[in-house]
Amino acid sequence: MEFATFADRAAAIEAEPADLEIVAHVRDLLEDAGDPESTDNGADDRIATVEIVARFVQGRVFPAWDSTTLDIGPSACYEAIARAAGQNVDADDVEERLADVGEIGDVAASYDFGGQRGLSAFAAGQGVGDNDLTVREVHDELVDLAAAEGEGSEDRKVDILFGLFNRCSSDEARYLARLVLSEMRIGVGEGTVRDAVAAAFDVPEERVERALQVSNDYGEVARVARDEGLEGLDAMELAVGRPVQAMLAQAGTVTDALEEWEQAAVEWKYDGARIQLHYDPDGLESAAGEASDATTRVFSRNMEDVTGALPEVVEFAEGTLEGPAILDGEVVAVDEDGDPLPFQEVLKRFRRKHDVAKAREDVSVRPVFFDCLHADGDDLLEEPLTARHDRLEGVLADGPQQDPDDVDGLSLLWLADDPDEIESIDAAALEAGHEGIMLKNPDSAYSPGRRGKHWRKRKPDVETLDCVVTGAEWGEGRRATFLGTFELSVRDEATGDLETVGKVATGITDEKLADLTERLEPHIAAEEGQEVDLEPAVVFEVGYEEIQTSPTYSSGYALRFPRFIAVRDDKEPGDADTLERVERLRS
Amino acid sequence: MFKAIVSAETLTSALDSVSVLVDECKIHLEEDGLEIRAVDPANVGMVDLSLDAAAFESYEADGGLIGVDLSRLEDIAGMAESGQLIQLELDEETRKLQIQIDGLEYTLALIDPDSIRQEPDIPDLDLPAEVVLEGKDVNRSVTAADMVSDHIALGVEEGDEYFYVDAEGDTDDVHLELTGEDLIDLQVGPAHSLFSLDYLKDMNKAIPKDTEVTLHLGEEFPVKIYFGFAEGQGQVTYMLAPRIQSE
Repeated sequence: MEFATFADRAAAIEAEPADLEIVAHVRDLLEDAGDPESTDNGADDRIATVEIVARFVQGRVFPAWDSTTLDIGPSACYEAIARAAGQNVDADDVEERLADVGEIGDVAASYDFGGQRGLSAFAAGQGVGDNDLTVREVHDELVDLAAAEGEGSEDRKVDILFGLFNRCSSDEARYLARLVLSEMRIGVGEGTVRDAVAAAFDVPEERVERALQVSNDYGEVARVARDEGLEGLDAMELAVGRPVQAMLAQAGTVTDALEEWEQAAVEWKYDGARIQLHYDPDGLESAAGEASDATTRVFSRNMEDVTGALPEVVEFAEGTLEGPAILDGEVVAVDEDGDPLPFQEVLKRFRRKHDVAKAREDVSVRPVFFDCLHADGDDLLEEPLTARHDRLEGVLADGPQQDPDDVDGLSLLWLADDPDEIESIDAAALEAGHEGIMLKNPDSAYSPGRRGKHWRKRKPDVETLDCVVTGAEWGEGRRATFLGTFELSVRDEATGDLETVGKVATGITDEKLADLTERLEPHIAAEEGQEVDLEPAVVFEVGYEEIQTSPTYSSGYALRFPRFIAVRDDKEPGDADTLERVERLRS
Repeated sequence: MFKAIVSAETLTSALDSVSVLVDECKIHLEEDGLEIRAVDPANVGMVDLSLDAAAFESYEADGGLIGVDLSRLEDIAGMAESGQLIQLELDEETRKLQIQIDGLEYTLALIDPDSIRQEPDIPDLDLPAEVVLEGKDVNRSVTAADMVSDHIALGVEEGDEYFYVDAEGDTDDVHLELTGEDLIDLQVGPAHSLFSLDYLKDMNKAIPKDTEVTLHLGEEFPVKIYFGFAEGQGQVTYMLAPRIQSE
């Protein structure tokens, strides 16, 4: 396929407002990509044009799993455009025009390229018309450009790009410039390409989607769909060594989670950096499919290879894992006692390329895994979360009898349907120095790259409230001598009265209960059964999920899922928050 | 099999004249000398170099092909002092080049020749005009043009028999005429072509100032630039494609 054809179609797509029409355009483009032109030596192991087109149309040169970049800055691109643009145009002129026009594609299209002739036009037996760029040529030149490194590589990149621009018509230049600077933006999203592949090669969308999830490469999926059909697509599997996109979470609340699912899978949320661990004791294939000696590779959330920066994770994998596996988790910075350190500390380690050993002395990290995508030859993406977690535990545990608590590197999972139980897991997570909790649908599959409703990070408290403790209840059983379930009130400044907004019982350890009882007992005003009225004296800082109207409390509002945070020793009841603030926070 | 001893100057001259166009190249280790052909990534400038066996202190080769990273090899050659000899030997087993400069030994990893851009076919051009001049005059022309423009026109005036250089800038212009007296030789013919100074400046860097340079020119045709080095036992031919002249 000629690059001019691609540019024409891209222009048509860009001009098209309707999604379905865009899919139709992309479908045509994929259908027309054609077979790879044959080479002189017969066997053609070169990339198929349909693969290139499926990537180019999304503004990609490389597969999504490949973190290779062209590594070319805007100024180098301006220079290449300037050189191709002709006499006495320099990079500054291009930049000025960009400031006027606003978009690099339009700038590139505004120049008249092709002033510089190529030597091939003069070579014996070759016509001048031989100069048309093909999609394949653009791809191959860009791969060369990406590979240029070391001294003088910037010049070499500009040379290559100049050579391409010099052969471009104005429309070709527009899309080449955008492709190079990762600003394609013609309205083709991942879903568009998925639907277009399905339409072009007559395969169901959801099977294309599955193939995309395991391969993480639109190009390969397009080629397989075309050449091998549905059977080929269905045979595509995760490749240990090639990263897939991480499943993502959205913000959510305990209330919503419990409304939608019978029970929630609750996990601690670690304040670390996301990693995907690939391990194969027999040596991983490199992402490009070549055999290598490495057994372990670690990828960041953006599928960058961070193996070298995290030797602890490699050591962990080699020491713990037996068969091939792909695990999803976090790497957390820890102090000498193994307690977590803030996120910033992880960053000191995460992308480090030099002096790793030295950095390791300063900050050590450890991995914690919460999901298992592949184990011992089985792809697990479609298994329910609980089943995947069981496999994870099996992969990490020393033996079948080991208590999950003792499994090194395992993030625990609790199934809960009771808000209080969830609160206590949250409290424990916070106490252990972590960020809070994740709520997940126990039956959900692993959907790479999706930020769906199945995973939720508990919304952090927007703001806390400082409430006066105006009542409490004596506990039962073991806690009979402790006050608990504290009644919370805020001040109505207009009347000077205290009005109740809720009761807090969670987020408090036994030790803390003893302390609170000691503080509050002197202020008991009246008792009836377990119920205790307290004189206003102590102020609690409490967290909550939201504020809602309620007939139950005298303020007319109730805190949902209130959580004890701390005693505000620095505050008198007169300094506590007001009803007006509650109203303001609610709105 | 390849084993050779060569003066630092000769090796450096040869490498420099190629590295102005490309970062990596293939070197043919022929029985009668080295040969290098390379074209820049945009297929605009080409170099064809040969260095005869006679240019070496000693030379043995049987027709191998190696790929090298030119800046690496230049750096190593740069370690030699003026007048020192450099010994090169190909280790067939490891596919590495052993380089020795007195006591200094350097083992250079080679590049797979297949991964290097294909060597160009040399266009067989019939260029009507021929200008023979000193390297310093090439340098003067290029330097003058570069002051005002990023392009340079080279031509021959057939009637009055002189070679000229034109450069037009946004505001300033440069015009230089070299007549028979200034030139070593001139064969007139219809010749006027426009070239990018980006390329010509780089090529100029590799041209010795005190050497004889031959330019072959035509109308809107590539220029062929020929010069010798290493006392004539090395030959370089550059070829540079023209720009289309606007207006």
